[in-house]
Amino acid sequence: MKKRDIITGILVITFISALSGYLLAHVYNKTKPKIEEVKKVEEEKLNREIFPDGFKFEEKEINGVKYLSVLNENGEEIGKIFEVKTMGYGGYITLKIGLDKENKIKRIKIKEHNETPGLGSKITQDSFLKQFIGKTKDDIYLKKDKTDEKIDAITGATISSRAIVEGVRKLLEKIENGK
Amino acid sequence: MENRKLIDFKVFLNGIWRENPILFIMLGLCPVLAVSSSVKDALGMGISVIFILTGSNLVISLIRKIVPNHVRIPVFIVVIATFVTITDYILAAYSPQIHKNLGVYLPLIVVNCIILGRAEGFASKNNVFNSILDGLGMGIGFTLIIFIISSVREILGNGTFMGKLILGENFKPFLIMIMPPGAFLVIGILIALKQKLEKGKKKC
Repeated sequence: MKKRDIITGILVITFISALSGYLLAHVYNKTKPKIEEVKKVEEEKLNREIFPDGFKFEEKEINGVKYLSVLNENGEEIGKIFEVKTMGYGGYITLKIGLDKENKIKRIKIKEHNETPGLGSKITQDSFLKQFIGKTKDDIYLKKDKTDEKIDAITGATISSRAIVEGVRKLLEKIENGK
Repeated sequence: MENRKLIDFKVFLNGIWRENPILFIMLGLCPVLAVSSSVKDALGMGISVIFILTGSNLVISLIRKIVPNHVRIPVFIVVIATFVTITDYILAAYSPQIHKNLGVYLPLIVVNCIILGRAEGFASKNNVFNSILDGLGMGIGFTLIIFIISSVREILGNGTFMGKLILGENFKPFLIMIMPPGAFLVIGILIALKQKLEKGKKKC
């Protein structure tokens, strides 16, 4: 390959990539506000799915841990929502864990994940997540890991399932010890 | 360099039926199988492909004379990835539900063999008008077939069309249709149908 070819090649690729970068930055900035809005709506939707009778959701903090306090119309706290990050198969999984007044699990929703579509992605399904409802921290183990324990892993997605179990149990432990 | 008219409408019709990307060229079938269990998602995928394919064909045809041969593949990929990313941002902002359902299959359009195939096999060797027609034709051909496949799969496998129940409450869906084997079955039958239709017309 002649030296001239190498130089032309470098110039063309650099130019095209720079143009692409410029264009993408432009589109990114244009769509960013709308995307933030969509994320906020999604977040509120998740909160309402966990606590349908929640009237107001207030950000609070206890012992350095942030959470959402769920209030009814009279301003009384009917529960809390914690956001927890746990390491799954394909990266971090962000969970929303709703606890009732007795700090028992009310409902869990997956906010963000990178698990395998069709396998680990099933952690978002209620059929898996509803197993956690009402359990205490001592019950939160996979059946595989501790026999006669209560949580069924998703077939073909043990690591993803275990990640959720660990994330939930660690939160309950933290609450019991920290608070 | 192909000998073609300046604007050749046959190019457009070619992508829709004769050299249909799904039923004839058979490239990039993975997203077709994965996204065709619901008509809404299939249409979302189809429209994205029309936009990305036409856009990338247009740009690649525009720059075909200045891109040296030995760097053409990276350049094509950058162009395609740019269009895919733009589509990604637009969908995330204005159609979040479709964006969520397409999931990882949207970024995977970057390595969809149809897009790169047309870039390399057509857009880099033809003028802008014909390249646009090729992109539109192939994209619409793709969308048409994935629409048919997803209609069959959703109606038979879920009893719904575009999410609305159309076969009544008592219909027991054929679950296999919304799983991968169902997709293979429908595509196989459609390919066979196309062959049969053309066998009569073939002039050897």
